[in-house]
Amino acid sequence: MMRFLRKPAQPDALTFPIVVQGGRSVSGGRAKNRIAMVTVAFVAIYATVAGRLVVYGMQDPEGGSGPVSRVTASRPDIVDRNGEVLATDIKTASLFAEPRRIVDVDEAIEKLSLVLPDIPHEQTYHKLKSNAGFVWLRRQLTPKQQADIMALGIPGIGFRTEKRRFYPGGETASHILGLTNVDNKGIAGIEKYIDDAGLADLQASGLAIAKDLQPFELSIDIRVQHIVRDELVRAMERYHAIAAGAVILHAKTGEVLAMASVPDFDPNNPVNAHEKDRLNRMSAGVFEMGSTIKSFTTAMALDSGLVTLDSTFDASRPITIGRQTIRDFHGKGRVLTVPEVFIYSSNIGSAREADVVGIEGHREFLKRIGLLDRMQTELPEVATPTEPKVWKKVHSITISFGHGMSTTPLQTAVGAAALMNGGMLLPPTFLPRTVDEAKAVAKQVLNPQTTEDMRYLYRLNAEKGSGKKAEVEGYRVGGKTGTAEKVVNGRYSTDKRFNAFLAAFPMDDPQYVVLTILDEPKPEKPGMGATSGSNAAPTAAAIIRRSAPLLGVSPRFDFDNEAQVVSLP
Amino acid sequence: MSKMFRTTDMILIAVMLGGAGVTFKLKHDAEDRLAHIRKLEAEIRYEEDTIDLLKADWALLNQPGRLQRLVEAFAEDLALHPVEPRQFASLNDLPVRPFEVDASSVAAIIESSEIDPILTGEVAQ
Repeated sequence: MMRFLRKPAQPDALTFPIVVQGGRSVSGGRAKNRIAMVTVAFVAIYATVAGRLVVYGMQDPEGGSGPVSRVTASRPDIVDRNGEVLATDIKTASLFAEPRRIVDVDEAIEKLSLVLPDIPHEQTYHKLKSNAGFVWLRRQLTPKQQADIMALGIPGIGFRTEKRRFYPGGETASHILGLTNVDNKGIAGIEKYIDDAGLADLQASGLAIAKDLQPFELSIDIRVQHIVRDELVRAMERYHAIAAGAVILHAKTGEVLAMASVPDFDPNNPVNAHEKDRLNRMSAGVFEMGSTIKSFTTAMALDSGLVTLDSTFDASRPITIGRQTIRDFHGKGRVLTVPEVFIYSSNIGSAREADVVGIEGHREFLKRIGLLDRMQTELPEVATPTEPKVWKKVHSITISFGHGMSTTPLQTAVGAAALMNGGMLLPPTFLPRTVDEAKAVAKQVLNPQTTEDMRYLYRLNAEKGSGKKAEVEGYRVGGKTGTAEKVVNGRYSTDKRFNAFLAAFPMDDPQYVVLTILDEPKPEKPGMGATSGSNAAPTAAAIIRRSAPLLGVSPRFDFDNEAQVVSLP
Repeated sequence: MSKMFRTTDMILIAVMLGGAGVTFKLKHDAEDRLAHIRKLEAEIRYEEDTIDLLKADWALLNQPGRLQRLVEAFAEDLALHPVEPRQFASLNDLPVRPFEVDASSVAAIIESSEIDPILTGEVAQ
């Protein structure tokens, strides 16, 4: 380009300086144009390159090749009140093969069977001989199996990671935790609650990233939960019952510390989770609770102000109403005081107590204490209580001793907590709740004085009444037994019972309510009784004995004679 | 003039080559770093997965049910029994600590074998 400029410039410069000037400007002008064009071209090229670089720079580098892992929704860990893991996501490797790339099928199967001895030979052979691009060989391997297979060095096979929900406790808290389906979506229990509480939306918007999910804390204590379930399994076996259940409720916050119902299922392998027999009897089953309901009848009479602990009721003769005759199981045949009606579990006395407040008052009280309405809590499996369509005298009488109305055991325990904690009805919760938070959601349903009287009656019944076998030295247990006859084909059966024991401890300032139920228990040994006091009460005692230290209740021995100070008239 | 141009050419070529060299090295280093980062990320992912798995394993090994089975299996050898309510005590239930004994002579032991009259935290009057 330099030469091109120089050549015409020299002669012109010697002879015609002015023309030269013009000639230079002409040739220079052309050159300038070309330079400009070239410049533009180069600028365009470099701009393109730079632009591409910027575009590449903005892009994320693509991941490795191979089949993309199945996107399974991440779920938060579920932990108990002490941070122990109850449910977690674990990544498992699944083995797949690309049959077209497999060199020697027989060799591959032979090698694989070293690590997976139970691999079906023939089936696998057909799979690998097929012309498919991709076949699953085994889902969800252990890390060790994965490492062993990798070490075999078989060409044409690979692993894909999948997420799986894992419950370290197995059956321990199955009914509370619930289940997830193959896509890691909650379909029962707290797992479903977590989804409904916003996780599903989070997953849908792609924001549910495993690392950002906070562990979901429950009010459950896994140690206590284990104790409860362990004792229930024993009780079911010992008393030949078809089912057993129990709940430990914090009386002052409404937190569920433990709740179990056996038979249950293993959430890691929930093949039998939907069998009818394995439902959560504590919240999803309704029962005629029997004499435990007398706690509420007595509390109602006391709370009305028309009855005091010194009032008396005539229980000398059975009550006949319509075709029904109400008798006492342990009839005394005389006038009873309120504490006597309670500890002798008198049906007649309870009916007369209910009579004091009237039919409407009776129903209103049970509504107020939450026994007739569907309970509001986090668990989705909650049954609706049943009551007579129209309350008549006969209904009020039978309901006073726990027949003719069905409710869930869990809400019976919730109602009992109100009888013990100063009259506050607290909706039960499976999430941690402080005493202050509880006060904010509490509904005052009873006079505090009624609570005082009920505590006395509960303790008295454990010391002198039907709940003697629930006594645990040092822990001041109080409680009420209930032995209900089950309805079979529309009639009350004489040999099929539903037993319950409603307990609270320590009675000087009740912290926990424990409700134990046994469905169709039989005598432990032939000739022995099968009433609640002989099976449900000792089961409650066993649970309290083992769990009280973990629940932070310290044993005291200076209270043992408290209830006896007030002597029976 | 031409010489000067040649010198400029040489310098420019040198600068260009140098520039190309530096650019190549930077790019190469960046690729190296990126590969290293990917490797580290893969390792972190692996470690995180392992941590998750170990946590699950820890929870599994600490299951009260499993511990109970172990306790029952070794109850006899280790003389293990459930704790009775009367075995719980608070610090206040502990007896007062005996006074330190000067064991240099028998007389000193006899003299000092009484309970220290001063309780912990109490100021002697």
